[in-house]
Amino acid sequence: MSDPHNTTPTADDPHGVRKDLDGTGLLLVVFVAVLGLALANVGISMKMGPTKYTLVVQMAIATVQAGLVAYYFMHLRHGDKVVILTALSSLFWMGILFVLFMADYLTRFWVVG
Amino acid sequence: MSIAVPTGGAVAAPPPPEPEPVPVNYLNNGYSIWSWLFTVDHKRIGLLYLVSISVFFALGGLFAALVRTNLLSPTGAILSEDAYNRAFTAHGVLMLFFFLIPAVPGVFGNFFIPMMIGAKDLAFPKLNLASWYVFMVGAMCAAWAVLVGGIDTGWTLYPPYSSRASQAAVVPGVLGAFISGFSSIMTGLNIMVTVHKMRAPGMTWGRLPLFVWALYATSLIQLLATPVVAITLVLLMAERMMGIGIFDPSIGGDPVLFQHLFWFYSHPAVYIMILPGMGVVSEILTCFSRKNIFGYSAVAWSSAGIAVVGFLLWAHHMFVAGISFYAAMLFSLLSMLVAVPSAIKMFNWTATLYRGSITFHAPMLLSIGFLVLFTIGGLTGLFLATLGTDIHLHDTYFVVAHFHFVMVGGMVLAYMAAVHFWWPKMTGRMYSDFWSRLSAVIIIVGFFFTFIPQFVAGYYGMPRRYPNYPAELQWLNVMSTAGSSVLGLGYLMPAIYLPLSFFTGKRATANPWSATGLEWQTPSPPHVHNFDTTPVVVCGPYEYSLGVDQQGRTLPPPPNETNAEPDAQKEANGG
Repeated sequence: MSDPHNTTPTADDPHGVRKDLDGTGLLLVVFVAVLGLALANVGISMKMGPTKYTLVVQMAIATVQAGLVAYYFMHLRHGDKVVILTALSSLFWMGILFVLFMADYLTRFWVVG
Repeated sequence: MSIAVPTGGAVAAPPPPEPEPVPVNYLNNGYSIWSWLFTVDHKRIGLLYLVSISVFFALGGLFAALVRTNLLSPTGAILSEDAYNRAFTAHGVLMLFFFLIPAVPGVFGNFFIPMMIGAKDLAFPKLNLASWYVFMVGAMCAAWAVLVGGIDTGWTLYPPYSSRASQAAVVPGVLGAFISGFSSIMTGLNIMVTVHKMRAPGMTWGRLPLFVWALYATSLIQLLATPVVAITLVLLMAERMMGIGIFDPSIGGDPVLFQHLFWFYSHPAVYIMILPGMGVVSEILTCFSRKNIFGYSAVAWSSAGIAVVGFLLWAHHMFVAGISFYAAMLFSLLSMLVAVPSAIKMFNWTATLYRGSITFHAPMLLSIGFLVLFTIGGLTGLFLATLGTDIHLHDTYFVVAHFHFVMVGGMVLAYMAAVHFWWPKMTGRMYSDFWSRLSAVIIIVGFFFTFIPQFVAGYYGMPRRYPNYPAELQWLNVMSTAGSSVLGLGYLMPAIYLPLSFFTGKRATANPWSATGLEWQTPSPPHVHNFDTTPVVVCGPYEYSLGVDQQGRTLPPPPNETNAEPDAQKEANGG
């Protein structure tokens, strides 16, 4: 991935960064998509009710939403290697949180001895 | 580490002439209140943090004094039981969220990271200023909580008491901690980007001062852990204000879930507090022993190691909270792991001192105090990380003593050492050598008398956060309170002689300690943009054996005799 900071200044773009910015149209589309997914999440949950699959569906939709926000609004699509690495490391850290949580929750009722 | 300094007969570049004091430095570049409140100069923002956290430290100390005074009597000397709860909570919240966490990153990270890597400023100067404002908004919320009666939950805010039963001002207090967390994230982000993107030519990762490594590791924790506690605090507020069952078991919640989420941040937060102090100590021990750091790479990577391992052991705070026995065994084992990188640092610092040419100025005295007190704090942590002994010691004064040995004996001493080490650079003035040494000794002695009795009281079973205790433990509590008075006196002395030095102290030279870092290559106080020209780094950060700074120039004489500019020059400068 190219380094987005190695840009050439021009007269109307003295810092050489404007060409890297996303257009308003694209950002609006993403915004509408995130809102639509939120509505879909609510609608599907009401339709399904509290089944054992409801949480899975909700989390799947929320993950797509988070991905859109990270990729477009947080500009990961323009990020250099360090930025991508930082984003991935945060996922790894979240993995630590969940795995060690589960070490407690999944074994809490095991009988000792 | 690559060293491009000519050795073996060749002569290093001559010592740089004492830089002429510049007519405009960052301090006299505007005197109006607005020139401070709207500044984007990292050095001025560092001073804004210094003033703010000094106020919070004083307030937190005042609440500590209330707590200690109350404990003079087994039945409570001055406070009602409810007021006692609010006093120790205010002490904890103020000291942790508004002093210990922002202290070194906010003050010395902001001030010195750009100078140490040869940059003009941090990567995002406006974000830096925003971080101070956000911090102050958070602090105002905490002040609001105190003014409307305070919080009685303890700084850990455990539900369901905090979300259901407490009649105190929990929401403004939680809001304060939540908002100040964003300031922490902003500072961490700024430091990480600055270190990645703005290093001077030749400033490779292997030549970064260890203070920068420590702040980088700290920033990593700030970025990754703070959002978790922010979400947790929002959930707590949602439960308290809207009755949504998340942590309260009476409405379908799980209180242990709060403790997991809270400690996933708050245990690494201990390393947010202590890692910068470790960076400070690395700078000072090398400088005042005139020796290269022993095992640069080991000390640098152990900072990263502490940052990573620090995330894996949070549940040792929860051994008696009802977590799984198997998880408790796992977390006990993982807790032992963090001793490894900490011990690496301790061994390397000790080896650095070995056969060094040591001088005992105040920063060095405080740093040696750090080594001793942090070691005791760390070793007593092993008792708490071990399942069997923790059941006996959990929630006793043993925990209070352990925590204060690490946080006050470690972090606050390192912070005081940093203030004394960099004060001449920040202000351009030297402080009283005698009073500063005396203050350091008083702080260390007062500290021992305050907290050693608490280990004993805790071992005998005196619970923390109780206003009453058995009469046979009174002598320990009286000794602890007497020690805290001595400790308070030790803290009060710098609050007098440091500001006084700003007006009456001798002018400091650019490099009064004969240190090697880039920050000492600029006048004291520094230019607005730090350097006249971008420095070129040719060697590692601690080449005391070669006697050269990071630009390969010979160091001025060490500070044994004089660190003030000659009288003739002083007169020429109009001083």
